[in-house]
Amino acid sequence: MGTSFDKILVLVGFISLFHSAYSAAQHRSYLRITSQEFTTLPLDIVVQAVVSLFTVMWGVLNIAGNLREIPAANELNTIRWETQRNLPSFYIFNHRGKALAFNYVPVAGKADLENLE
Amino acid sequence: MAELLLDPNIRLWVFLPIVIITFLVGIVRHYVSLILSSQKKIEIIQVQDSQVMIRSRLLRENGKYLPRQSFAMRRHWFNNEETGYFKVQKRAATSQNPMTDPGMMTDMLKGNLTNVLPMIVIGGWINWMFSGFLTTKVPFPLTLRFKPMLQRGVELAYLDASWVSSASWYFLNVFGLRTIYALVLGENNAADQSKIMQEQMSGAAMAMPPDPKAAFKAEWEALEITEHKWALANVENEITAMES
Amino acid sequence: MSVVTKIKDNKPEPVAYSEAALRNNAAVVEYCRTSMAALSGSTAGVLGLTGLYGFAFYVIAVVVLWLMFMMKAGSNWHKYYVSRQSLLTNGFLGALFTYVLFWTFIYGMVHVY
Repeated sequence: MGTSFDKILVLVGFISLFHSAYSAAQHRSYLRITSQEFTTLPLDIVVQAVVSLFTVMWGVLNIAGNLREIPAANELNTIRWETQRNLPSFYIFNHRGKALAFNYVPVAGKADLENLE
Repeated sequence: MAELLLDPNIRLWVFLPIVIITFLVGIVRHYVSLILSSQKKIEIIQVQDSQVMIRSRLLRENGKYLPRQSFAMRRHWFNNEETGYFKVQKRAATSQNPMTDPGMMTDMLKGNLTNVLPMIVIGGWINWMFSGFLTTKVPFPLTLRFKPMLQRGVELAYLDASWVSSASWYFLNVFGLRTIYALVLGENNAADQSKIMQEQMSGAAMAMPPDPKAAFKAEWEALEITEHKWALANVENEITAMES
Repeated sequence: MSVVTKIKDNKPEPVAYSEAALRNNAAVVEYCRTSMAALSGSTAGVLGLTGLYGFAFYVIAVVVLWLMFMMKAGSNWHKYYVSRQSLLTNGFLGALFTYVLFWTFIYGMVHVY
């Protein structure tokens, strides 16, 4: 996840972008009131909009999350001995050794296992 | 091309509200569908059946590494005429037809309810509330072919094709904001990811054939005709041959 | 651990990629691309670009985003992406739709009225 610096970067960029949009709208209405023809925006608004766009993009890029390394070897290298031994097919849930426990109540038969639910 | 001058109040009270309404309705719809979506419940019998099937398959494939007696013992547990697991289990065949399955029906109904209904209701409301406005102009020239698509509700033959009416602006938003939902509802994607992980964990158990009776029958036959051929019968000689 | 094996054309040996990491990277790239489309669409609307200038601006934004990805990954981009070209071209049209929507929206807000 991005640092707080990136979040501030995004926030500032958004505010700046919004401000430039507002300035552009004001400029348009000013031109309309004074009945001038619209040619281009003032240079400062253009520069502000473009710069804030790239600022926000850079911030979003850092916020979006870390890229993980895709070669499988990098992940396989981190697998440890304990995880390697963890095989679901060899799980035992019903070991006969439990009959040795002092509080063991024998189950009558397989039919009772069905009724456990 | 004559330059039209639109009232700025249209911007504030028609153009912007349509965007906001569409966006918020999409968000609400997402959460409503989250509430309504029912987690698929796995029954314990089903899990038991599928695990038995997996065990039987493993026995068939790898039974050659067991001594003959052990193999026969395991097969006996599955296949014995009186007490074998595949013989004594009586499972009712589940219905195949999704229309008769009430759970499936409600799922379909919920899907319709959360997808189609809001679209009709909100679309109709927007059509009624904001009808007949020209809201905006697309910043690129379009051919006349686009006129019925972009100017629904405003039938002016001599209007430039790049003007957009309010109803069409609503539909543009409905289709265009989909990617933004994916962006904003990032946790949605995260939830999906964890769901995928869950399914992978219980994937073997989930993949139970719909009719356990037939599956049991097939597995019983396959196990019955499996011939035990011990792979390790000659193992001492092989190992010593390898050593020398 | 699910592993996808892909055989590259120019390399004789197959390269194994971790599927989870691939999916994660694709999600990050998709997130950035959608944001980029929305933001650059808004900027194009603010600037009041019309016609082909707007589409040219979209292409520029895509290229800039690609350069930023390259900058972020550094010199060892092979570790993170399968190919640089697909990073540039994937989802070009899907994001274009978002771009056009935001362009129209902000253009309408700023310049039409």
